[in-house]
Amino acid sequence: MPNGDDHPSPGRRDYFAGVARDALSATRQLVSGLRTALLALLVLVLLVLCALTAPLGVGLLAAPAALRALHGLAGLERARLARFGPEVVAPEPPPTAARAALRDPATRRELRWLGRHVVAGLPLGLLGFWLPILAVRDLLFPLYWRFVPADATATSIGIGSSTSWPDAVAVALLGVGWVAIVLGLGPAMARAQAGPGRRLLTAGPETDLSLRIAELTATRAAALDAHNAELRRIERALHDGTQNRIVSVTVLLGAARRMVARDPDGAQELLERAQSAAEQALADLRAVSRSILPPVLSDRGLAGALTGLAAECAVPCHVDVDVPGRCAASVEATAYFVVAEALTNIAKHSGATRATVTARLAGGRLLFTVDDDGQGGARALAETPGDGGPGTGSGLAGIRRRVAAHDGTFRLTSPPGGPTTLEVDLPCGS
Amino acid sequence: MRIVIAEDDPLLREGLALLLRAESLDVVATAGTADDALDAIDRHEPDVAILDVRMPPTHTDEGIRAAVEARRRHPALAVLVLSAYVEQSFATELLTGGVGGLGYLLKERVGRVEEFLDALRRVADGGTAIDPEVVAQLFTRSRRDTRLERLSPREKDVLGLMAEGLGNSAIAERLVVTDGAVHKHIRSIFAKLDLAPTDQLDRRVAAVLHYLEDARRR
Repeated sequence: MPNGDDHPSPGRRDYFAGVARDALSATRQLVSGLRTALLALLVLVLLVLCALTAPLGVGLLAAPAALRALHGLAGLERARLARFGPEVVAPEPPPTAARAALRDPATRRELRWLGRHVVAGLPLGLLGFWLPILAVRDLLFPLYWRFVPADATATSIGIGSSTSWPDAVAVALLGVGWVAIVLGLGPAMARAQAGPGRRLLTAGPETDLSLRIAELTATRAAALDAHNAELRRIERALHDGTQNRIVSVTVLLGAARRMVARDPDGAQELLERAQSAAEQALADLRAVSRSILPPVLSDRGLAGALTGLAAECAVPCHVDVDVPGRCAASVEATAYFVVAEALTNIAKHSGATRATVTARLAGGRLLFTVDDDGQGGARALAETPGDGGPGTGSGLAGIRRRVAAHDGTFRLTSPPGGPTTLEVDLPCGS
Repeated sequence: MRIVIAEDDPLLREGLALLLRAESLDVVATAGTADDALDAIDRHEPDVAILDVRMPPTHTDEGIRAAVEARRRHPALAVLVLSAYVEQSFATELLTGGVGGLGYLLKERVGRVEEFLDALRRVADGGTAIDPEVVAQLFTRSRRDTRLERLSPREKDVLGLMAEGLGNSAIAERLVVTDGAVHKHIRSIFAKLDLAPTDQLDRRVAAVLHYLEDARRR
């Protein structure tokens, strides 16, 4: 290949970039493994103490707590491993009574994992944490060796001293060695650290996967329900909104045609009404298509979309969204419209100086709240849907209907004098 | 003619009232829900009630149920039901207790003012007004009935208009033929379908609708 030796070819550049990326990811994985390994050490000490004091009775009393800590830690490790690779399917919830736990294969595997994670995972994690630091320290040594006292050890491994440039360069070469180790062995170390967890913490062959299947079935059904609710809402919006507008247009046009000969002025007025009804139909149609999926949601996700809403709000608004993964699109759209409506109301009516939007995912439900420090007294307008004309909270009534269509809950607390809190809770449907 | 209108969409409700008043018809009350409509019917005892099918709170078949209830309370009341789309079960439910003084039309028919007013007057006079769309659906679904195949195309047209609830002279006007010709077609149709001939209009409509409904089920 021409110039192949002078310039790294794109393929080779990609290769080096890939190696660096892998090493970085491995380091992150090793350090996060170090955290669970330190916790594992703690839990191990706890369990050993329980075992030692069992004859005295104290250990037996404390055993359930220690076992809960073990299961909790195992869950943490599963979640951690899932972040860096395929999901580790948890076995059924294990027992916490000491005697049952000793017989439970899943718990026994968790105990074996605990031992290995302390014995191997902890040193590997420490290496993963220290090696990059050593590499940086030794690589930079030539820059600062003059300021180091002559009798101090120069290298990070605690041998040798440096009194001249060649010594300093040698130390830097040692740093290059550390870098080579991180790049070359990092991924393998991360795999070794994760191995026992992947093998031992997953549901064993004896585990009944029916629980898992039931869970998947339930969430799938919820997703379908959310989908159905959304289709129903769109159908209704089209039939009861847009179609009625267009029927009004034909009614008014028909009436105008009848009136043309008898009363041209009256016909003129009817035609004008027909035109504005047609314009309303168009506006309705736009609103329906926008309400199906606001483009911003698919572009930037729920967090981005809500942040965007807050930025447009006239009242300073703090957004705190912690929703890992995505919910069903229709659920996200509903959440988006609830927050949009709430912020509009805050800006228009509340007199608030600040507002907060929070969103969380818990137990398969999307919970979000919008509060403000305004004057409160947002009337429970939404209690009587359908009767509101413009500006009397018909927006909130629509939002309430939409939440109900998803089997969600909608709670508005707004005592006179404030503050106002709107809490909505939607099944996530995915 | 005294009329009560029940339609939850304010714009359409006002449009309807406007249209009917411009025709010098007496709109005595308008309502946005089925319950309000029943109250207004009790209070004003109108000749005709025009009811939307989907109204609050559930937006499903409130109008149909209100129509059945209103007819139970006031047997002489004529009811014209307006629907956003054709739902065969609604039509069937509405027409089980007889077809006299009942109508079931798509909302957009209102825009053809003359035909709509015709249908309204027919229903008010104890006749029937069934939407052509409903009749067309009955026809397509009863295609397997061999006896219907025996009808000439013109006879099928006449059968359709009979099912809509039109009288002889109205059918003649629509098809641009003489009353005598329509009369002949109808006799031929009744003979081919083994239906007992009758001069009473609502019995005739009921017979035709039942025939089509049966053919659909077979």
